[in-house]
Amino acid sequence: MSRKLTVILLAMLVLVGAMSLKTVAVTHGDGSVIMANGGAPQPPVPWKNGGAPQPPVPWKNGGAPQPPVPWK
Amino acid sequence: MPGPLEYGIWLICTLLEGAVVVCAVRSHSFRRYIFLNVYMGLSFLASVGRYQALSHYGIASSQYAYFYYYSDALLTIGLYFALLNLYSLVFDEMKVERYLRFGAVLLLAGTAWFSYAVVQQSSHRLFSHFAYELSQNLYFVGLVLTYALWGAIVKMRETRARLIQLVLALGVYFSAFAANYALQNLSSKATILHFVTPILGCILPAAWAYCFLRVNEETRLAPARLVAVPR
Repeated sequence: MSRKLTVILLAMLVLVGAMSLKTVAVTHGDGSVIMANGGAPQPPVPWKNGGAPQPPVPWKNGGAPQPPVPWK
Repeated sequence: MPGPLEYGIWLICTLLEGAVVVCAVRSHSFRRYIFLNVYMGLSFLASVGRYQALSHYGIASSQYAYFYYYSDALLTIGLYFALLNLYSLVFDEMKVERYLRFGAVLLLAGTAWFSYAVVQQSSHRLFSHFAYELSQNLYFVGLVLTYALWGAIVKMRETRARLIQLVLALGVYFSAFAANYALQNLSSKATILHFVTPILGCILPAAWAYCFLRVNEETRLAPARLVAVPR
């Protein structure tokens, strides 16, 4: 039982650590981690798999400049 | 549209991904490192699919974008399981497989829940946002898990050279992306950095292919403290 609790604690610690790290990275970044912009230069993508070029995000509607994401 | 240099880098990266699987099969290590090979196989297929989508629809198309981000989410989950494969190999003598599986499922479920909690306010395209957010969050989870695994390897004085190199390659891969990200934020107008990101994508398949090709499963590293013992 105590071993299972230890596993749960470790998993939660990793999750909290990772999400904190992500928050720090995104907060100090220019916002391009979350959203890429259509015609803009390619944004930095630390989580990209493979060497394929990154397309614009599919859920952007219209040509208006992108505001900061509300869920950051 | 990407230029010839970007296409060249992408092609090299795709070939290296295929080479990992071929080298693993040649060295009879495919089943032992099954999730690493599944991940590399998926990466290869995703690259081929992305090329098809890009050449048919163009970089600005929603088809390519959807394919890119959904395949990215799938690949990140694959990378997570590849990392867990390495965890189970490092801890195989401690007989904690059951707890590792439990922890892995719990962590994946926790990350999925967190990602859903972040995107649930989206009124439309919830699943696309979720896939994107999950992919991103799993990357950071993978980063933390890789450093934790490296700490465990150092602490346990692991001597299996191939295992150490596979984990180190993964650590270098994550660290290089993090460093590249930081550099791009510092100087987003530097054109050279535009090519660095795809080149970094080649690090992992190149290192793993070399590892399967050149490093034998039985090769052991002599711990420094044993080497330093006076005779």
